[in-house]
Amino acid sequence: MNIWSRCCKWFSANVPAQWRNRLWQDVPLLAVDLELTSLNANTCGIVSAGWVAGQGGDIQLASASHRVVNTPSPLKQSPVIHGLTDRQVAEGAPLEEVLQSLLPYARTHMWVMHHSTLDWGALNRAFERCNIAIPGVVVLDTLDLMVYYLKKRYQMVPHDAVSLAGCRQQLGLPDAPAHNALEDAIATLQVWYALFEQLNGRNFMQVDDFLHTRAIKYKKIGRK
Amino acid sequence: MNTASRQVTDFFSSVAPFEGLDSDMLTTLARRAVGLYLTDTNADDLTSRYRQHLFVIQSGQFVIHEADEPVRHVSEGACFGYAMLLDGVSYPLRVEVNEPGLVYCIDEVQFSELLEVSTVANFFQRLGDDELQQQAVTRSESVWLYRSLSEVVQRAPVMVNEQATIVEAARVMTENGVSSLLVTCGEAVVGVVTDRDLRSRVVAREVDVGQPIATIMTRSPVVISEQDTLFDTLATMSERNIHHLPVVDTATGKPVGMVTVTDIIRQQRGNVLFIIGELAKADCLYTLTRAAWQLPHYFATHARRPGDVDIIGRVLSQATDMITRKLISFFEQANGPAPMPFSWLVFGSQARQDQTLGSDQDNGLLLADTPTDTQADYFQSMGTYVCEGLAKCGIKRCTGNIMASNPALRLSLDAAVKDAQGWVSEPASTAIMHCNIFLDVRTVAGDLDLFETLQRRRAPLFRQRLFLAALARHASEAAVPLSLFRRFVCEKDAQGRDVIDLKVRGVAIINNIVRLYALAEGLTMPSTLSRLKRLSGQSELSLRDRDNLRDIWLFLNRLRWRHQLQNNLTDNKVPLSELSAIEKHQLKAAFRAIEIAQEGAVMAFSGGMR
Repeated sequence: MNIWSRCCKWFSANVPAQWRNRLWQDVPLLAVDLELTSLNANTCGIVSAGWVAGQGGDIQLASASHRVVNTPSPLKQSPVIHGLTDRQVAEGAPLEEVLQSLLPYARTHMWVMHHSTLDWGALNRAFERCNIAIPGVVVLDTLDLMVYYLKKRYQMVPHDAVSLAGCRQQLGLPDAPAHNALEDAIATLQVWYALFEQLNGRNFMQVDDFLHTRAIKYKKIGRK
Repeated sequence: MNTASRQVTDFFSSVAPFEGLDSDMLTTLARRAVGLYLTDTNADDLTSRYRQHLFVIQSGQFVIHEADEPVRHVSEGACFGYAMLLDGVSYPLRVEVNEPGLVYCIDEVQFSELLEVSTVANFFQRLGDDELQQQAVTRSESVWLYRSLSEVVQRAPVMVNEQATIVEAARVMTENGVSSLLVTCGEAVVGVVTDRDLRSRVVAREVDVGQPIATIMTRSPVVISEQDTLFDTLATMSERNIHHLPVVDTATGKPVGMVTVTDIIRQQRGNVLFIIGELAKADCLYTLTRAAWQLPHYFATHARRPGDVDIIGRVLSQATDMITRKLISFFEQANGPAPMPFSWLVFGSQARQDQTLGSDQDNGLLLADTPTDTQADYFQSMGTYVCEGLAKCGIKRCTGNIMASNPALRLSLDAAVKDAQGWVSEPASTAIMHCNIFLDVRTVAGDLDLFETLQRRRAPLFRQRLFLAALARHASEAAVPLSLFRRFVCEKDAQGRDVIDLKVRGVAIINNIVRLYALAEGLTMPSTLSRLKRLSGQSELSLRDRDNLRDIWLFLNRLRWRHQLQNNLTDNKVPLSELSAIEKHQLKAAFRAIEIAQEGAVMAFSGGMR
């Protein structure tokens, strides 16, 4: 084993083997985005969640879902960003119901998120609070991947280049309405496909071939 | 139930032919579509996974190989894959990706549902034919707003209370000089009386004229709202076979006037003839300019129907001719008759009769002989006087100094013929540019025979193949504003908007091409449309291409006229934002057709060499 594959192995230590050997064209993806009450990963609540499935270059809009959550956390200044009002939130679905709709995807899909650290913290606490246990999820973080791509290509990360809108601009994707969980989820999936292309990805490649980017992580949630 | 994404509905609502769909249909479309990020490596896989789908491009650049059709270079807003859906045949489809991008696909079931919407069905029907048809022109008609009645009906309604007697009513009508009268009860219209009613219901039956008018009026008449258009009025009148319609306020129902068939006829024809009449009657420069300045105003307020636009160019040119003749006669009155026969020549748009409000004057003088110094002075004064007079009447001075006030444009017959020989023997590019202006020529005043002699002597020169080849090369140099991928190539205007100069990039190119075929046949009339009409069956421009060029020419002119009239401007730089998605689509097709015609001209006249 050469040093490169050793490194890869180290990067990927967490990702289960059944994922690592799959071809990209066979990997079901679920782009997920959340709107939160604040940017503090330890305290923020989930205001809304949006997701859409895709595979091998397609975006299955028939699976697109946008759910407003009846969060108990105060919205504070966040409506300025996501535009949801107290009233819409009050009419939202219970957190548990929304998490239950996401649950089936945990086992079957690789989740695509932009800046997963923040959204992840929120999801993690939500699953815990609702006392829902699910297995680990493989998460592909497009922000991490963009950083990898920019460093590789320009040896630097230009200011504001890794925001979702910034990524889209760099990758020649059309503008999309921002800060709606579903719109951002769709935008994130498009960013992944465009980055995959930029990084010379091929559908016959394995997940393994992208582990060295450190953008794919195995995350465990809701575990006591 | 899944959620319709905003970005998807936004996209579909901005692209032909989906832009006109109602929001329910757009939502369904967004819910059921599939998005694709097409790259060179996944295109084969994805297009076979989504076989028998309609593909609509949001971004990226692609080359489409579909069925046996010629390859198409396409980018945002274009569709592909419809041929197999329309024909129900599984054609081979291959997509080459030049720049990866987002594409939406719509399945067969949904596509057939969409085809029930007539605009969508027409759109794909036409795409299937892959030809810009008459629809380009007819379709642009619908964008013209008809004038609303509130603008037309200016006179306060003539009315009487229903208690009034027949004789009182007749007096009111006579005093006001109207042929119809509103009868009211309180503030509401309860009836209408016309001249004809007085004849057939009163006089013919010998009814006592002291009776209330209510006994003979037409009760509960059909009324029309002041928000409605002249078109609505005409439709209602012909449907009900009536000639008078009370106009009421939309909100309150109170009468605001009466519209009659005569009003409509006057709106259609009256005023421009009135202005032309004023021009003809003018007896000094002041009255002439006053009448001339009404022309732009007239067009701006009255030309709402597309048919108007097609003739405005002619009306404007004829008015300019008339002004020119008037000015020459004023000059001769003051300075005595001309010392030798002359022809006043007009070139370019005035000659072609496709002037717009922004067209500048292009004119010159043709003299029977080389003038003596005194004679030259006379014609110099005439040229200067007429050109300045035209400028005062609102027709801009020519920036290229192609005006009779310029000595180079006051040539004797022999010198003019010699000039033409110069262009033909040495067709350098400046010479060609001159030709294009001078070859569209008419005479509007002076000695007609003199001009015809010039045309007769020059005609054989212009039919020489080498000269035509040079003209063809020149005509192909101007590029239509489309990139290889059929995107618009735009300029920026002062406000930073994307604009296209429809004159330089479209109309002028067609004019150049048509002139070429006309010269080859020795046709001397300057108008592009009449040249197209007069080309013989032997012309290398096929009948179908001629019809296409005519439609495109009319279409482009309508767009630029609308731009000028709606914005009160005189330029031809039309912002893309003024065009609907369908118009953009048609414009692309039009430019593509012009490009093909350019290539055809090069093939026909210079053996394919550019």
